[in-house]
Amino acid sequence: MIKLFSMAVLVAMLAVGTLAHGTDKHVMGVVTKITDTEVSVEGADKQVTVVKLAADTEFVKSGAAASLKDLKVGDRVVIHAKPVGTDLIAHEVRFGKMPAGTQAAAH
Amino acid sequence: MNALRMLVVLLAILICAAGAGLFWMTSTGMSARATPGPLESYLGRSVRNMSIPKSARSMKNPMTASPEALLEGGRHFADHCASCHGNDGRGATEMGRKLYPPAPDMTLPATQNLTDGEIYSIIENGVRFTGMPAWGGGGPNDHDTWHLVLFIRHLPDVSRQELLDMENNNPRSPAEMQEEQKENDFLNEQSK
Repeated sequence: MIKLFSMAVLVAMLAVGTLAHGTDKHVMGVVTKITDTEVSVEGADKQVTVVKLAADTEFVKSGAAASLKDLKVGDRVVIHAKPVGTDLIAHEVRFGKMPAGTQAAAH
Repeated sequence: MNALRMLVVLLAILICAAGAGLFWMTSTGMSARATPGPLESYLGRSVRNMSIPKSARSMKNPMTASPEALLEGGRHFADHCASCHGNDGRGATEMGRKLYPPAPDMTLPATQNLTDGEIYSIIENGVRFTGMPAWGGGGPNDHDTWHLVLFIRHLPDVSRQELLDMENNNPRSPAEMQEEQKENDFLNEQSK
C-alpha cells in the first residue's frame, strides 16, 4: 500500500511536470618560486603569475601521479586553476615531459 | 461498500497529491537549479528500483574483475559516462552537478548496494525523467555493459594513476585537443 501510494504521488508529480568547460585558467610557463602554498610561474611574456595551492591540488609528472616535492624551480609547468576572487587556485599542476600519445586532462 | 469507500479515499489522496504536486511545480517552477529533496529522492529511487524486473535484478555478472576487464571498463566509462559522472564516478562534473537530479556519487552505498543486475539494467535501459540514457539494446549479455558494472564496483578503490590513464579516453572537442597539444608541446620542450 505504501509502495502504491509512493508510486501514485510520484506519478502525479511527474505527470504535472510533463505538462507543464568551464571557467578554468591554464597557466603555462617556468616555475620561479615554490612555497607550501603557492607556485610562481613566469610566462612567455615575462609576467609572473602566482597560483595558490589547495589541499586537493593534484600534481602530475610526465603523466604519472606526483607531489609538490617533485616540482622544482626552473621546471616548465601547465597549471589548471580556478579563479576565486582575485586568486587563482590550482587544481592540477602538470610538469615533466609527456609520454608519447598522452593527452592532458580536460577540465 | 468498503471497497467503494477505499476507492473514494484513494482517489481523494491522489487528487490531493496531484494538487500538492501542481502547487509545488507552480511555486518552484521547472528549473533544474534546485536539488531534489529527500522525499523526492526517496520516491524516485523507490520507483526506479520497483521498475527493474525481478529477473533482471537477480542477474549475475558473467565477467570477473581481472585487471584487463577493469581497464576495459574504465576506458569505456571514461569515454561514455565520465562527462556526467566524472572519471571517479562522484558526479562532480559541470554537467553532472547541473542535471536534475544531479549525477549521483556512485562510490556511495546508494549505488554500491544495488545488485549487479540492477546496475546493468540501469545502464542498458536508462532512467526516465533523469539525464541517464538507455545505452544498450536491453539484452542480458552485453559484455561492454558488464565490464562497466565491474568498473562501477571498483570505483570506491580507483587509484589516482587509473584516473590519469582514463583521461586519455575522455571525449574532447577539437579546440580542447588543440589546447592539450599546445600544452604537451610546451612541456616536452623542457628536455630538448
